[in-house]
Amino acid sequence: MPSVIERPVAQSSGDWHREAADLIASYGHAIDDGELDLWPQFFTPNGIYHITTKENHEAGLPIGIMRCVGRGMMIDRVKAFRTANIFEPHAYNHIVGYPMMSYDETTGCVTARSNFQVIRIMETGRMDLYATGKYLDVIQKEGGSLKFRERIVVLDSRNVDVLLVVPL
Amino acid sequence: MLTTPQPRSAPTTPAMDFKWPAEGIARAPYRLFTDPEIYKLEQERIFRGRAWNFLCLDVDIPKAGDYRTTTIGETPVIVTRDHDGKVHAMVNRCAHKGALVCLKKQDSVASLTCVYHAWNYGLDGQLKGVAFRNGLRGQGGMPTDFDVARHRLQPIRSESICGMIFGTFSEEVEDVETYLGPDMAQFMKRSLDRPLRVLGTHSQTIHNNWKLYAENLRDSYHATLLHTFYTTFKVNRLDMDGGIILSDGKWHHLSFARRARLQEAAEYSEAKVHSANYESALEGPELLHAWDEFDDGITHSIQTVFPNMCIQFTLNSLAIRFFAPKGVDKTELFWIYLGYDRDTEEQSQMRIMQSNLTGAAGLVSLEDGCINEFVQRGTRNDPECASFMEMGGRVAESEKNSRATETAVRGFWQGYRGIMGF
Repeated sequence: MPSVIERPVAQSSGDWHREAADLIASYGHAIDDGELDLWPQFFTPNGIYHITTKENHEAGLPIGIMRCVGRGMMIDRVKAFRTANIFEPHAYNHIVGYPMMSYDETTGCVTARSNFQVIRIMETGRMDLYATGKYLDVIQKEGGSLKFRERIVVLDSRNVDVLLVVPL
Repeated sequence: MLTTPQPRSAPTTPAMDFKWPAEGIARAPYRLFTDPEIYKLEQERIFRGRAWNFLCLDVDIPKAGDYRTTTIGETPVIVTRDHDGKVHAMVNRCAHKGALVCLKKQDSVASLTCVYHAWNYGLDGQLKGVAFRNGLRGQGGMPTDFDVARHRLQPIRSESICGMIFGTFSEEVEDVETYLGPDMAQFMKRSLDRPLRVLGTHSQTIHNNWKLYAENLRDSYHATLLHTFYTTFKVNRLDMDGGIILSDGKWHHLSFARRARLQEAAEYSEAKVHSANYESALEGPELLHAWDEFDDGITHSIQTVFPNMCIQFTLNSLAIRFFAPKGVDKTELFWIYLGYDRDTEEQSQMRIMQSNLTGAAGLVSLEDGCINEFVQRGTRNDPECASFMEMGGRVAESEKNSRATETAVRGFWQGYRGIMGF
């Protein structure tokens, strides 16, 4: 992705830019509001969601922490969250930084990178910085709205506190 | 309470006022999970005692000059490979002032140099050179009788088996294969004795004493009750054909199951366990695409090695888990996902998909991240009370026909009492 100073100004404006930024923002809001059932809908039907660590990502290793290929696996994750998995109730607050994006006219895809911090709030009231990292997204138009064709979540740390059951 | 350090050579005499309940290994006093003096004694008698600790994989340090850092208990450790291909393990602590010598998780170096005063060591840990040994312009320097040959990084005995490197501070403990015993060694070879490939790693901080996780690994009773994803999708149920094999010393174990011979047990439908109320159809069934990897029909196995590791096969998802105590109520749990060099692309893809089952976000394992903490929080104010573990009897014996037993947990405590002198 060209840096902001190399990029023509005209390319950084336009509807796709605002729409993609909205997608990235509303994704975090949906999870933070506990609307996990919406989560798979942020992806294209064959979309990929992958949480990994910086260490794995940079070494090109294929296994990270969570990998869903297609909405079906995401729906299974949500179902497992609702009815099978056991954990202490908690919520997230996503702080997502300004996304850097580029648009490929031939594929019609937006490539985006944004940094995030996620604070985890326990029912006891305890709040912790739970995760930091970057989203590497490939976004495309699907049925009139933008969806993630791929969202790679690269965690800065190799270490997860306690467990991970709610997607980041 | 213990007020002075106890001699390391006397593990048979209790070091403190601690007394095991008369019921024996079917009880574990909660004090074991919270007492800092016991924790300190474990560092000495277990992690620096007569036990083999998992350090890293052979493939983590493939070339001469490669090093890897890890810990044995809380002691920082370096593992290197020298120019003859020989593996060396040593304490990560400069022989001069005690600073850490290696700071990265892994690197490739010509020699090891402490950043503090540039003391320089060979890949075998032997001191090679000391900065300003002869002083500057004839002033200062080491005494004339200073001999580099008499200083080195504290060596740790190491041995490699099935692509894994183990280390021990003990000169007395038998070799790794004897330490494992014939049953454990045989199954370890079945799972790992071919060139390995690392597919990914991560770690998890769990807020509990390390022994609660060691128990949890050996607790075949909880597997399908707590981890309900398993039960619901019939990936693994207690009514599957399977069992538990304990090593001669009882402290290592192997739990295995065969998926193919699944039989419906009436207890599941009648017991109304919460594991039964989930739809059995996956929207993304490719999660569980698997192939029969071994002739023995075993599709699930957990094999522990006392004190700090296990080898897991969940369908085709092969992983090594090992854990490092980080204080009396904190443990770091490491996951190393593996495949074999010989795997086809299709097989690799299946291992990758199935990795969703385990790990910090594992569909069938994530509960272990919190359940041991629930025990820690539930027990910390009552050190004199004890857990009750009589499922499957009161002794620690192999049970080849059922996994509805706590026999391997009792086996852990039998081994623990022996090495701790409790």
